[in-house]
Amino acid sequence: MKTLISNIKNLFHFNNKREALDKIVKLVFLLATIISASFIVIIIVFIAEEGIKPFITDNNGIGRVDFWKFITGTTWLEGTTFKSNLYGVGYIIVNTLYIAFLSLLIALPIGVLTALFIAKIAPKKLSETLRTIIELLAAIPSIVYGLFGSGVLLPMIYNLAKSFGVQSPGGNSVLATVFVLVLMILPTITALSEVAIRSVGKEIEQGSLALGATKTQTNFKVILTSAKSGIFSSAILGIGRALGEATAVSLVAGNSRTGPNFGVFDITSTLTSTMLQGLKETIGIDYDIRFSVGIILMIVILITNRGLNYVKRKIGNVDVK
Amino acid sequence: MSSKRKIIDKLLQITTYFSAIFVVLILSLIFIFVIKNGYTLINWGLITNDYHAQFYNGGIEEITSYSNTDKPDFLTDNDYYSEKWGIAFSDDIDREGKTVIVVSYVAIDSPLNNMFDKNNTDNLDFKIENGNIVTSIKFYDKPSALSMNGAKKMIEALDQENEFREIVFSSLGGGIRGSLITTFYVIGLTLIFALPVGIFTAIYLNEFAKKNRFTNFIRGMIEMLTGVPSIIFGLMGLAVFVPLTIKYTPATSANILSGSLTLAVILLPVIIRSTEESLKVVPDDFRQASLALGANNTQTTFKVVLRSALPGILTATLLSIGRIIGESAALIFAVGTAVKDEISIFGKSTTLAVHIWSLMTDEPANIELASTISIIILATVLFLNLLIKLISRNYMKRINQGG
Repeated sequence: MKTLISNIKNLFHFNNKREALDKIVKLVFLLATIISASFIVIIIVFIAEEGIKPFITDNNGIGRVDFWKFITGTTWLEGTTFKSNLYGVGYIIVNTLYIAFLSLLIALPIGVLTALFIAKIAPKKLSETLRTIIELLAAIPSIVYGLFGSGVLLPMIYNLAKSFGVQSPGGNSVLATVFVLVLMILPTITALSEVAIRSVGKEIEQGSLALGATKTQTNFKVILTSAKSGIFSSAILGIGRALGEATAVSLVAGNSRTGPNFGVFDITSTLTSTMLQGLKETIGIDYDIRFSVGIILMIVILITNRGLNYVKRKIGNVDVK
Repeated sequence: MSSKRKIIDKLLQITTYFSAIFVVLILSLIFIFVIKNGYTLINWGLITNDYHAQFYNGGIEEITSYSNTDKPDFLTDNDYYSEKWGIAFSDDIDREGKTVIVVSYVAIDSPLNNMFDKNNTDNLDFKIENGNIVTSIKFYDKPSALSMNGAKKMIEALDQENEFREIVFSSLGGGIRGSLITTFYVIGLTLIFALPVGIFTAIYLNEFAKKNRFTNFIRGMIEMLTGVPSIIFGLMGLAVFVPLTIKYTPATSANILSGSLTLAVILLPVIIRSTEESLKVVPDDFRQASLALGANNTQTTFKVVLRSALPGILTATLLSIGRIIGESAALIFAVGTAVKDEISIFGKSTTLAVHIWSLMTDEPANIELASTISIIILATVLFLNLLIKLISRNYMKRINQGG
């Protein structure tokens, strides 16, 4: 206590004007830093405060939403319209993870192979061009990917579904959502994998070549395995982006109210697309429930991230064979 | 090397070629798509027009004299002209892809210049102009001429008559002036909020903070922001900044100010990291030299360190602008989705990116206008990226020469 008081005294005790200015400026900087750092807390506290409301109040007569039913439910009904408290995000969580991992499954090989091509195979000029193209793709805003998805992919998928004898509602489907997400996470994965591949030590590469492996063998068996930790990190970032992407997904998902939806031509809904529904509400359960879904989204992202990082540590420890 | 090995090698290599080609294909397809769908709407009018069309009912008092102007030479065969009324119509397509009849010429002595506004007789500026869209002309003694029958039929019907009950016409809507202005407002306000806080934080972390657990903790908290998806920031804006601005400003709903504050939070980590990186490359010699010359900490920070970090701050600003222009999810919550023509920073509005979302979620979706806006967004973002590259290249050159 004594030191604290003397500290505070020290803070307001200036030897001269200059020192006073120094201290005030430093204080302003510190204040800015504390503001910057506090936002993560503000986000969590305020979203939790709103998001918890549907579970503890009776939502203007609709009735309390049961938390267990909420996270395991397989139907989503808009409360005030249907006078129901039947909100279930269980199937939406499954949908979200299913779509995100499916996108990763497609985007990861393409991204890594492109990265390998840029880093090791292509001539220098071509690498530069490709690198710029990747940068441009990364810079394209998500809404433009959404527009591209609904303008180009939806009609294509509609026709594709027709040729399989499936009547797809305007092409809105799991497939469309996955494709849009693949396009969106591809630049992230490629750019980061390329950095990982380039930072593999020359001696490893030369060692492999000296042992008689061909260039291609070295690229695929030695360099990719040495870079796998970095590649895995790119996958983690990619899936983070896929889980959190909202506007583009909402334009092609089709908003399914019951699920889970596994068929490629089924309409679907993700946590983010669900949050973008019923925007007109400014009060009541349909407003609050968005925050509840937001909490679930953050938890899903956190768990996925932690889980993948755990896996990364496990496989990262294995030596290159 | 066995021939089997050779074949496997070739196949593996080909997979990388295909992946690279796929990536190039995506970029080309996106560009082709937006340009093909959007280029027809690109003109100056698009960015100066209002989004919401104004509808008018023009009546006319007793006509004393008709027009005497011949059909002007600049009108083509597609412009149908009535000599008596001194007005030309042509068939066109509006920004929603519907066929409409557009006024292409009004003669100076046209009696239509004397029309009055039936809904607001005090409106003295009222007149029909080039570019207005004519919905119908109602007559006293015969059926109305409707726009769906085409410009030719309408002008013929008008030419036969000596008077009419009213002309229903509207301004050409679908312009993006409002969203464009909103975007500028949002960029300006966001930078005003985010830059000082971000730069000061970076300076504190890099220049003043001791390397201890508290500093690490602070860094960790800021780092966590980068992993939060933008829709969650949108929720935060809705829960924190919207009520805050409603309480302390004239705003009554989500507004431009609350949107800018939300975006400022999203951009903080970007600005902090970029500024810090440029602070890190400022050699310690500079700081020590400044201090040795008798400057105090504040002077050193502002006059020496910050000045050397300017390129980094500039890069951060450009990156931020690009991010603001492209951001949609957060702003849907924090600014709203209502396209407006009258812009106030305390009112609802949409930036260009959210305007696209609004157009695409409407029934039916307006892909043409959405593509046109995308062209504008893409061009801006690409230009910014190029600028950042140039700046950082110059900067690296200077550092290399200086060092």
